[in-house]
Amino acid sequence: MSLAFALSLGLITALAFMGLPMGASMITGSILYLLMRGQDMGIAAEQLLNGMYTNYIMLAVPLFILAAEIMNSGSLSERLLNWCNAVVGRFRGGLAQVNILQSIVFAGMSGSAIADAAGSGKMMQFMMTKDGKYPPSYAAALTAATAVIGPIVPPSIPMVLYALVADTSIGYLFLGGVVPGLLMAGVMMVQVAVTARIRNFPVEDAVPLRQLPRKTWDALPVLLMPAVLMFGIYGGVTTPTEAAAVAAFYALIVSVVIYRAVRLPDLYSSVLASAKTTASIGMLIAGALVFNYVVTIENIPRTISATLLAWDLDPVMFLIAVNILLLLLGCILEGTTILLVIVPVLIPTAQALGIDMVHFGVVVVVNIMLGLITPPYGLLLFIMTRIANTPMRALVADVAPFLIGLMLALLVFTFVPDTVLWLPKLFGYVPASASP
Amino acid sequence: MSLLLRIGVWLHARAENLLAAMLATMFAVFIVQIVFRYLLNLPIGWTHEISVIMWVWLVLFGTAFVVRDHEEIRFDLLYSTVSERTRRIMVVICAVTVVFFFAISLPAVLDYIGFMKVEKTAYLKIRFDWLYSIYGLFAIAMIVRQLWLGYQAIWGKPGDAIDVTRIKSGI
Repeated sequence: MSLAFALSLGLITALAFMGLPMGASMITGSILYLLMRGQDMGIAAEQLLNGMYTNYIMLAVPLFILAAEIMNSGSLSERLLNWCNAVVGRFRGGLAQVNILQSIVFAGMSGSAIADAAGSGKMMQFMMTKDGKYPPSYAAALTAATAVIGPIVPPSIPMVLYALVADTSIGYLFLGGVVPGLLMAGVMMVQVAVTARIRNFPVEDAVPLRQLPRKTWDALPVLLMPAVLMFGIYGGVTTPTEAAAVAAFYALIVSVVIYRAVRLPDLYSSVLASAKTTASIGMLIAGALVFNYVVTIENIPRTISATLLAWDLDPVMFLIAVNILLLLLGCILEGTTILLVIVPVLIPTAQALGIDMVHFGVVVVVNIMLGLITPPYGLLLFIMTRIANTPMRALVADVAPFLIGLMLALLVFTFVPDTVLWLPKLFGYVPASASP
Repeated sequence: MSLLLRIGVWLHARAENLLAAMLATMFAVFIVQIVFRYLLNLPIGWTHEISVIMWVWLVLFGTAFVVRDHEEIRFDLLYSTVSERTRRIMVVICAVTVVFFFAISLPAVLDYIGFMKVEKTAYLKIRFDWLYSIYGLFAIAMIVRQLWLGYQAIWGKPGDAIDVTRIKSGI
């Protein structure tokens, strides 16, 4: 590691700590590096522009963001919640189970946990706390925890970003998330069932089973969406990037034509909000492209990989270390930053140890998602305290059991790669051999 | 409201219109591309080019003129806990640093953009210096914006409280 690199890294860290946006910090630090090495400073612009221009798969990110925004502005969530209530509302803690079920279906349409919490999550929070049915902090904790599933069940924005840095197939990554996502939902369902008995949560009025076909018909366009997406990608019809556009288009048709729930001004706000989010996440990607150039010429990933391999690290130890590292970083850093800056440094080591890249990707993404509900810095926690108007302390206390449950699930995905790889293998994926 | 402020608000709203239009265009050409490739069996390349250009412009234009700093992805754990005075000092240090490095690299950046006039895009034959000129605008806007933020931090009124829920994160 050269002095120039050390100073550049130091400057980025200092600027970031002082509140400068991450993207701008990385560009500034990289310019310092180029200056000290006497290189052409135009390289910063070149790396950024060419990187953005040639990485076509990144376009899936804005399109998935747009799809989620449109879904949230229509009455899709409402109809979906009615259907979920008809199915699982009759059990003890019914609404809490509804919350989990809706999050699975939503996860199958949207690739963003934050969007899920701000959209259907907000409605769930309202339903659960109306008439004092559930303590606000418990409802908020559950909503935050179920939103975590959003980017694990495909589609998934973080997986697109991972595919970018790890050069892995998005299609197989998406498939790899299906079983883990369902398992995580299962863990939470069991937890809710137990808690519901202990804390005596209410049962919803059972919706007569004869009404179920009608409610299903009502929600059918929404329920079909995950299937449409999956068929698009795995039927070989569309690329994952095009599938993102199809998702947005489908959401648009359903909300505007079928449900007639979105007016033009709503649509404009959705597009603008998506565009702003895109610019913000895009700037981080842009900064990472420039800084990753610096990291690459300094040969950092290889150096780290050589050091770690010299320690005779076995894959299991490495994965445990990665889990701990990412969970700790997740407490203080925003997830996209971890994915685009930290993860690329770990990938060569993982590859050298023979860990499968799809397996590694799903483990990494689950880690980063858990970072969204770990204090002190968890974006989902911030959003839910705001939506639920409940103190952070109460929310953290109620989220802790779910966090522990989900971490146990993460351990299972880490040590039993087939939980992740079983489905991709069915679709013809050939994993790297040495995954533990 | 002073005239200057009103002009600023008006310009910001137009910049927002433009930003939304860029995303809408990206989305629309994607749909056109899908229709042409799968329904009409006529693969076309220009849609691909437009969507990528929209992506580059959307990010740089949006960061330069629409998204505010507190909506960007940043590490605000420390920033949001320190006193108003410390925060102002931090903003000034960041502003000075960014202005210095963006200004010192600006000639090289403009050089690079100018040099790209020799290349054109594959389908639409757009000159790359035009396409990449947005980075020049972005760099200049960054300098101006940071000068303004630094000025505000030294002489301005206290800023709004930090609102972490306004951060735009796609995950």
